[in-house]
Amino acid sequence: MDLTNVYQNNYLVVVIFLLLGILLPVGALTAGRLLRPYKPRKEKYTTYESGIEPFHQSWIQFNVRYYLFALLFVIFDVETVFLYPWAVAYDKLGMFALIEMTVFIVMLAFGLLYAWRKKVLKWI
Amino acid sequence: MNNVPLSGYLLLALVLFCIGLFGALTKRNAVIVLISIELMLNAVNINLVAFAKYGENPGLTGQIFALFTMTVAAAEAAVGLAILMALYRKRKSVHVDEMNHLKQ
Amino acid sequence: MNWQAIEWGAMLPELIVLGTSLLLILLDLFLRKTVSRRPLGFLALLGVAGAFSALVLQLHEPSIQLFHDMYRVDGFSKTFKMLLLIGTFLVLCLAYDAKLGREENVRGEFYYLILTALVGAMFMASSADMITLFIGLELLSVSSYIMAGLKKHDAQSTEAAFKYVVSGGIATAITLFGMSYLFGLSGETNLYSMAKALQETALPDQSYMLVFAFFITFTGLAFKIASVPFHMWAPDVYEGAMVPVTAFLSVVSKTAGFIFIIRFFVLVFMMSKGVNSDSLLQQVQPYIIWLSGITMLVGSIIALRQSNVKRLFAYSSIAQAGFILAAFSVFTPALFETMWFYLFAYVLMNIGAFAVIQEVTTRNNDTGMTSFEGLGKQSPWLALAMTIFLLSLAGIPATVGFIGKFGILIALLGYGGLHYVLAGILIAATLLSYVYYFNLIVQMYFRTGEVKEKRRSQKGLLIVTIVCAAATVIFGIVPNIALHFFYEQFSISTFLQL
Repeated sequence: MDLTNVYQNNYLVVVIFLLLGILLPVGALTAGRLLRPYKPRKEKYTTYESGIEPFHQSWIQFNVRYYLFALLFVIFDVETVFLYPWAVAYDKLGMFALIEMTVFIVMLAFGLLYAWRKKVLKWI
Repeated sequence: MNNVPLSGYLLLALVLFCIGLFGALTKRNAVIVLISIELMLNAVNINLVAFAKYGENPGLTGQIFALFTMTVAAAEAAVGLAILMALYRKRKSVHVDEMNHLKQ
Repeated sequence: MNWQAIEWGAMLPELIVLGTSLLLILLDLFLRKTVSRRPLGFLALLGVAGAFSALVLQLHEPSIQLFHDMYRVDGFSKTFKMLLLIGTFLVLCLAYDAKLGREENVRGEFYYLILTALVGAMFMASSADMITLFIGLELLSVSSYIMAGLKKHDAQSTEAAFKYVVSGGIATAITLFGMSYLFGLSGETNLYSMAKALQETALPDQSYMLVFAFFITFTGLAFKIASVPFHMWAPDVYEGAMVPVTAFLSVVSKTAGFIFIIRFFVLVFMMSKGVNSDSLLQQVQPYIIWLSGITMLVGSIIALRQSNVKRLFAYSSIAQAGFILAAFSVFTPALFETMWFYLFAYVLMNIGAFAVIQEVTTRNNDTGMTSFEGLGKQSPWLALAMTIFLLSLAGIPATVGFIGKFGILIALLGYGGLHYVLAGILIAATLLSYVYYFNLIVQMYFRTGEVKEKRRSQKGLLIVTIVCAAATVIFGIVPNIALHFFYEQFSISTFLQL
């Protein structure tokens, strides 16, 4: 029972933060709306882009090539997940694990080689 | 934070898994379907890591299993997205309910 | 652990296949675009044949464990790997002759993806750890997703591949969710240690969790074997993918799924207690019986209405999965023998049938049933081979399919109880299957199709058809050769003991 009390108290803090997080911005924005003058002009309604005049729609399509880079990144990024535990326990694992890791990285190199030959790495 | 009981984690994982399953079965957009599958796989990871730390018989292998799950999930998502791209080039649509060319 | 202390020879078959696939990747990448990729098919065949001979050399060695008991080379893995290798060899022969049309440039990739999928399947056969089992399963699955969508300019093929990825991903997640609970209950990932740990749990709430874990793991694995809760992908994927890929999915991938099921469920759950004091596997028997019965009926009944050959074979393969599950529902030591033999029969007859389908559908450029019209007149030998395969699939005596089905029936009748009902359903489903298999035979012999230009059958197809037809008849008459081989290799005690 004691444990459940502590457990619930932890969430009390979360709830307080949540309420504060909602109330503060709402209160501040309402106060601002009540206090500020309201004189709209056409220029005031355009998008602010650091002083440069906006020149086309903000919804643009990204080049599909980004997606290929993202895929490549995901694969190689996730593989480092295996390198970290190995590096941490390197002293205990010794030679055998080193060879295994070399095999693993050579396999990955095959993937990179594939991407290179299929001209994924080149930006046209 | 070590006073959150195991059942809390399991419940979270179960809820995530069910949200993922619901999304994968009902959503129209194929990308959301793939994301829902990732959600299900991540629910598994929460389960594994929670069991590995607070389970009846804690053991390190659960964490290792979670690492492997993450890698496999990434590979699966990559292949899924690549196939979706090929499909989009043919159909110009990513809506699951329009993929009905294989029925009489 | 020492580098030299490991017997690498035990992994030789896998290493050969892996090496071949890496070599093929390199060759495919660095050969000039204009060079034909067909010779790579020879290399792939050579690799599989090499792995097969390495496996044959291992047959008389005692079973060993590698990598802290993660990897086992025992009678079970050797006998089932044999099926995988034979199946892949035949599929590669089909792939060699496949017409890719404007997608000729993916031929090289096709060959090495089959090999990587094979490596995954072989790993599943040998592994005794949840992690390696799962990695093998995924290596097989991810390779097959790509293979299903290999024709990327063909809208049907990519759609099939996407459906396959989505249902496969859901199934994987469900299986893993069950596995995570099993890990939580036992704290181990090694199957033998898990079995030991689960034997000791006695708390009632935990045994409910165990049953829950069993159910979701089983549901997820139903995807790989295309049985009832997860069979919906099969017709679409079979129709959309190329014929050799379809053959691979329906034979090698399904065999691998059953290997997973046998190794995992028999080892982990045989000793663990269910809700009351019985063994869990005994208690869930009714569930497996109903699933298998429904699978058979769904497959056979929907197959009646199909007009597309590939969809017909998809539903037929669902029904076949039901038959093999029926063998799994009988928990006696005979389980291994009946399942192995039926899978062996299934490899021969199904790949043979797909070889004929590939020939006929490429000839007519149409996958409708009507493309078989008049085949009996046009190429009598091909029609004869197809008739043998269909009779075997239907389970007519003097074919290997009959022996397999008969074994399952005997096992069911020997057990009694609810199994009698399943035996009845099996017979009913078999009778239903006569209708659609014989319908195809009628198309071949009693309908006259338009006369098409004669085309010489290709070598790979010819080899597959002849080998499969001969083996279907030979093992149907003298099945003891195969069964003796299995008895010699497999012993239940080495399977169960660490």
